[in-house]
Amino acid sequence: MKQAHWLLFAAALALVPSTAFAQKGKKPKGGGTTTTAPAGGAAGGGEIDLDQPQAGQQPQQPDQGAQQPQQPTGATPAAGGGEGGICEIDPTACPKMENIAEAAKKKYKQDIYAVQQIYVLRYHRVELTPYWGFTLNDQFVSHSGPGLNANFYITNVFAIGLNGNFYSGLNSDSDFNFQTRRATRVAVPLNEYSWSAALNFTYVPVYGKFAGFGSFIFSYDLYATGGVGAISTRPIPVIDPDNRKFDFDPKVCFNLGIGLRVFVTRWLAITAEIRDYIYPEKLEKLTIANGPIGNPNDPNSPSNPKTWLEDGVDITNNFQANVGLSFFLPFSFEYRLPK
Amino acid sequence: MRTLTSATLAFLTAAGLFAASEKPAHAQEIVLSGPLKGAPPVIKLRLYREGRFEIAPMAAFTLLDEYQHSYLFGARLTYYFTDWLGAGFWGGVGVNTDTDLTSQIDQVAPRDTLTATNVAPCVPTNSKSAASSTCPGGAHPSFTDQTAKMTWAVFAQLTAVPFRGKLALFQALFVDTEAYVFAGGGVVGVDERANCGSSGDKFASCTDPASFSLSSQIKGAPTFGLGLTFFMNDIVNLGVEYRAIPFSWNRGGFDSRGLGPNNNFPDGRINGDDETFKFNQVIGISVGVMLGSRKISQ
Repeated sequence: MKQAHWLLFAAALALVPSTAFAQKGKKPKGGGTTTTAPAGGAAGGGEIDLDQPQAGQQPQQPDQGAQQPQQPTGATPAAGGGEGGICEIDPTACPKMENIAEAAKKKYKQDIYAVQQIYVLRYHRVELTPYWGFTLNDQFVSHSGPGLNANFYITNVFAIGLNGNFYSGLNSDSDFNFQTRRATRVAVPLNEYSWSAALNFTYVPVYGKFAGFGSFIFSYDLYATGGVGAISTRPIPVIDPDNRKFDFDPKVCFNLGIGLRVFVTRWLAITAEIRDYIYPEKLEKLTIANGPIGNPNDPNSPSNPKTWLEDGVDITNNFQANVGLSFFLPFSFEYRLPK
Repeated sequence: MRTLTSATLAFLTAAGLFAASEKPAHAQEIVLSGPLKGAPPVIKLRLYREGRFEIAPMAAFTLLDEYQHSYLFGARLTYYFTDWLGAGFWGGVGVNTDTDLTSQIDQVAPRDTLTATNVAPCVPTNSKSAASSTCPGGAHPSFTDQTAKMTWAVFAQLTAVPFRGKLALFQALFVDTEAYVFAGGGVVGVDERANCGSSGDKFASCTDPASFSLSSQIKGAPTFGLGLTFFMNDIVNLGVEYRAIPFSWNRGGFDSRGLGPNNNFPDGRINGDDETFKFNQVIGISVGVMLGSRKISQ
């Protein structure tokens, strides 16, 4: 049993990953001795590590390995990449040791370009955005509900996709409607939604980055989107609820919107958008037919569905704010050019 | 002891498995050496706000209006102690217009005993409805006259600017952009239907045409919101902000509460009981002018 514990412990240690850093240079070969940033500069003709102490703070006696690059022998350590490197092919091109103090005096370009590499590439990736929508402009009935947006980026800034909203059972008739009806005997025709779906095109003209609290940087983009689809709506009977009962009816629906994505990682973003759904709405008729109740075939009967709706349609704008998370698939991508 | 050892080993095993499942960090995200090691994320940052005073004339309008659209014209005055924190005032005077609902009620609401306390008796002269005016030779007071209006507002507020960056538009136009949040409190001037009551009360009857007039009141309210500032240059910026001003008021001038269970039924009086909570929302657009010299960070 005790042995099993030790085996488990060993297995745990073996599973602890050791992360390799890309900037960690190869140890030079041939010198036999590891270079340890001598006072004369970086050994091996490799990188100059400006983080090492200044020349005056270096040990006065550089080690053997540091001397080796100056020896014109075949024992030159790996300048330019190891044995038989650039030093043997073209000695003039062989990197020379630099004094660290001199290197430190070099003037480095301090400009940091606004966009060195775009933080997130969207090209040929799928974006899935589950979100929650809120009504912005309907003070009578709020049409909140979940939605899903799926885009495929044909280019890095242009996408085609689908989105859908689910409202059924989540429409909320404002208390203010009731107060108005009770106080003034005036009813406002109300409508509720069941679902909507649309084919959309998305364009990303704006992107950039923000510094947060002066301590971290995050990337964002702004996009415009638009499309066409359908929305299923129906009137809520408030004028004559005893006789009128409406079914959901899909209508053609256009949408236009703008959105903001704040990237948390290269595959996850917080998304907020405002979208206007524009569609022709049928409203409940404000007057009640004055014929006998009960005969749906009587053109003057309140029971006849043909007397329930206003003539014509009202072009309705449903401004909706959506807040959600965007997942980009695949999770990783490769830049075409190195950094 | 044996149990403890087993638990420790199990924990280490689980930790090892968890750690093994994690992806290694991207090399590009860790600067181990080089001239930028230890450097702040942003150097030579243009400090648009630190030690400066901002005067930002603004125009704002309310959202999700019931009976009146309110437009506020005023300014935001802020002094910034640091580049990310300031204190100041926001205020303006209001102009109000009828919503379509108000016009509809004015035109079609019946004027009878059922609506006598809630709808002003006069039908506007331009009414196309069959409702007849009981106001000979005149059209007031109408329903428009009894609806509450936001007339002015002043708030003290703290502004924090946690995020800043730049906006690249079509790779051609670059604008320094800041996102800010604010919170504070203040007062709102509201013209609201005056108190009235049934006979025997000290107020006039709520069916009296004179009772449909408004009285000026001051409501305390918190405010909070967020916004974006786009710096055109060191001095001028454009801003857009969302502001919430939640408080209770009687927007329609109705007798809707005061009697019965939970006071949910009309009591024939107009008073504070009839005020209902509204999450008032305002969108504002401003042009800011920064006074004082701009600094640059290290």
